[in-house]
Amino acid sequence: MATEVVVKVKDISAGYMKQPVLDKVSFAINKGEMVGLIGPNGAGKSTLLKTMRGFLPVLTGLVEINGRKVQELTAHDFACQVGYLQQYAEIAFGYTAKEIVLAGRYPHLKWWQKESAKDWKIVRACMEYTGVLDLADKTMHAISGGQRQRVLLAKVLAQQTPILFLDEPTTGLDVFYQEEIFWFCQNMCRAGKTVIMVVHELALAARFCSRIILVGNGGVIANGSADEVLTEEHLSQAYGVTVKVVKNPLTGNIEVFTVHADRDISMERLLYRIDAVNTVTNECQSEEQFR
Amino acid sequence: MKKMTVFFPLLFVCFFIISLISLSWGQIDIPFENILAMLCHELHIPLFADVPFTPEQQAVLYHIRMPRTLVGLLVGAGLGASGAVMQGIFSNPLADPGIIGVSSGASVGAVIAIALGLTELSMFYMPLFAFAGALLAVTLTVFLAMRHGRIPVMTLLLSGVVVGMLLGAMTSGILTMMNEQKMQQYLFWTIGGLDYRRWEHVFLAVGPICGGIGVMLLMARHLNILVLGDVEAKAVGMPVMPFRLFLLIIASLTTATGVCVSGNIGFVGLVVPHMMRMLVGPDHRRLLPASIIAGGTFLVLCDTIGRIIMPPIEIRVGVMTAVLGTPYFLYLLRRTRNMSR
Repeated sequence: MATEVVVKVKDISAGYMKQPVLDKVSFAINKGEMVGLIGPNGAGKSTLLKTMRGFLPVLTGLVEINGRKVQELTAHDFACQVGYLQQYAEIAFGYTAKEIVLAGRYPHLKWWQKESAKDWKIVRACMEYTGVLDLADKTMHAISGGQRQRVLLAKVLAQQTPILFLDEPTTGLDVFYQEEIFWFCQNMCRAGKTVIMVVHELALAARFCSRIILVGNGGVIANGSADEVLTEEHLSQAYGVTVKVVKNPLTGNIEVFTVHADRDISMERLLYRIDAVNTVTNECQSEEQFR
Repeated sequence: MKKMTVFFPLLFVCFFIISLISLSWGQIDIPFENILAMLCHELHIPLFADVPFTPEQQAVLYHIRMPRTLVGLLVGAGLGASGAVMQGIFSNPLADPGIIGVSSGASVGAVIAIALGLTELSMFYMPLFAFAGALLAVTLTVFLAMRHGRIPVMTLLLSGVVVGMLLGAMTSGILTMMNEQKMQQYLFWTIGGLDYRRWEHVFLAVGPICGGIGVMLLMARHLNILVLGDVEAKAVGMPVMPFRLFLLIIASLTTATGVCVSGNIGFVGLVVPHMMRMLVGPDHRRLLPASIIAGGTFLVLCDTIGRIIMPPIEIRVGVMTAVLGTPYFLYLLRRTRNMSR
């Protein structure tokens, strides 16, 4: 299969208020890839994704979506190319799940048009795929976090875009829901879509993603397959702590954990001091009461 | 969906009955059948032809009741629709047209017109000044909130508060320099009322309010997207800023027109859309029509009650909307605290 570059990032610096968080970032993503963006909190994963989606300005360098510069894409063109799931979408008012998914059809309608039977069919199919069809008439307030995320994923799917950007789609979900979201994405990539997602679960990323990009220290530290990227050296460098990576011989999955000294006397001493402050103030109070 | 097939006809029935009551009740009661007979006679509909009516009844209906009821319906419908749109723009169920300075701007305009003694020259000066003041206030609010070609919702709210305070202070300042008679005139205006409304008021209001409502109805589906917030709306390809600005202007124009023919009337723009959202849900394609009909009906109902509660004194409609609106709103808030956001 000939590889086809759908997202190209070349030498960009990105950040808020002209303060670059990332500098000289370059990579290219091919059609059908499932890419996990990982890195410590505040490293700039979301910033990178937002810049690629055109929500933040490209300070220097070049971002291309299907061969077109992001600055040249209109809001409508962009929405037809890229679906975007934001980190935490607060939904005002009591919209029902199906009304939210229907919003994904917006870029495909002219401004005076009404949703047709075809649009409703797509909405239905998307909700069926993410398993939320039975929640269609529930309001977004009345459903759990895991279900909510699946409804929002259905909305992004209903946009029928070849590329999907997902910003922490699994944060705050319990393990099985997390795995499910990854699994949905993997299937979508097999069907020819390209998914780029910001994730924190390194083990799940290693299992499902076809490629992992590790962001840290103001740039990309590593870019490649899970085995290439998730090394002790790379992770220790990115997260600033000593990290061990172990491959589980039974499942073949990766386990990542930090290494501490067994017992840290200075930490314990600090804890003692916190409690000590408490007893001292209590004494003072009781002394005052005595007088 | 089944609920809707019952709800909208029911709303229409309420609308007709309350309009009819408003035309009928007052210091001179005109029986329903006489009103229908006069209307049918005028419109050349061969119904109620055998019901007699007097020229006196005809005069009361045409020159007093009808303009009053029509202004009430128009203003109520305009306030209901603008309220729903504002709540949508701000994604906040507690927003109303007053929040971006429409009413405080109109007050300044009105107080200037009174202070300059223009109100004695023509009845049109006050509405025109109020309208200009309202537009000026909204422009100022939007201008203050604009940063790097964007209008963040929070900044817009805050600059609305600031502009409201500034204009409120100006109004108070001018008021303290006026004589008692002028002050009372202002007070009368500021508590909105529908008394002595004439056909001129109807003609003044009908164009802008109906136009505004029409545009808002056309934008209903887009409003549904805008409510989801900046990022969601942009993600599905909506140019957020132009849409928000456009809807803001339309809602302000509609409200300003209402304020200019009937004075400041609070609570309709806040309570009615809120109430309708509970009944028909947040989809603006149902919410807007419901708010429009219910807004008109509610305002006329308040006016009618204010008129008949202790004759011959009339309680002004601005007072009645607040008196009826506040308890209901509190009830809603307490009942659905977890649902409203």
